[in-house]
Amino acid sequence: MPANQPATRTRLSERAPAPGTLEAMKRLWTPAWIVRHVAMVVLVVGFLGLGWWQLSRAAGGNPISWGYAVEWPVFAGFVVFVWWREVRQELRGPEAPGPAAETTESSATVEPTRLAVRRPVRVSRTAATVPDSNDPELTAYNRYLRWLTDNPGARPGDYPG
Amino acid sequence: MGAALTRYRVIAWIVGVVLILLMVIGMPLKYGFDYPLVVETVGQAHGFLYMVYLVAAFDLSRRAGWPLSRMILVMLAGTVPFVSFFAERRVSGWVTGQATTPEPVANTPVH
Repeated sequence: MPANQPATRTRLSERAPAPGTLEAMKRLWTPAWIVRHVAMVVLVVGFLGLGWWQLSRAAGGNPISWGYAVEWPVFAGFVVFVWWREVRQELRGPEAPGPAAETTESSATVEPTRLAVRRPVRVSRTAATVPDSNDPELTAYNRYLRWLTDNPGARPGDYPG
Repeated sequence: MGAALTRYRVIAWIVGVVLILLMVIGMPLKYGFDYPLVVETVGQAHGFLYMVYLVAAFDLSRRAGWPLSRMILVMLAGTVPFVSFFAERRVSGWVTGQATTPEPVANTPVH
């Protein structure tokens, strides 16, 4: 771990064990997770088997099977991708940490990416600072610009109107 | 979120229509009238379109923060003929419902 890690990093690691350790692996060995692992293996083996079957059909003179022979392995790969993402999300930390651990500091460290894609929720009502001109179009545009500055993470398409 | 929902809805509609074409027109033509051309072409297209559907559903559920179970449910719903349209409506309801509740109310004039 680099030396410039913030202090909140250690607090995070108290709740979420470091990836690769036995403690972290135990979290992936609950009944719910075993079901997911088994489902992943079954689906991947099944999809690859179907792909192999289509490949043999294609080799046997059914040209339309070439497409299916490509599609099934892609679906198998997608299953692995979703499984891997879930595993990483599980190892990153609990979804709902305890109320004592829920400080503004740590939540800002734990889920910056989640916050980045969320819509801005609470905004102070600062319409009074927008000077009302006689042109309603200009006023609306000023409000729009004000909204954009109030919501730095927002995209123009998120403007509620 | 709005753009992801739109992407999902568009591809869900396309996949639903193609799936119905496959089931209602292609299958009877192949197995009833020995005319497999529709199944061969539309079936191929459906496979690749369903990949796009999976990606769109994955993207949407990631942005919405859904649990894995709901994501898989949405993905599987795209494989059922006719039901996929109802599923798409339900998904849109989930997303817009949760999006409108904390709608930002910036710059409403305060009197």
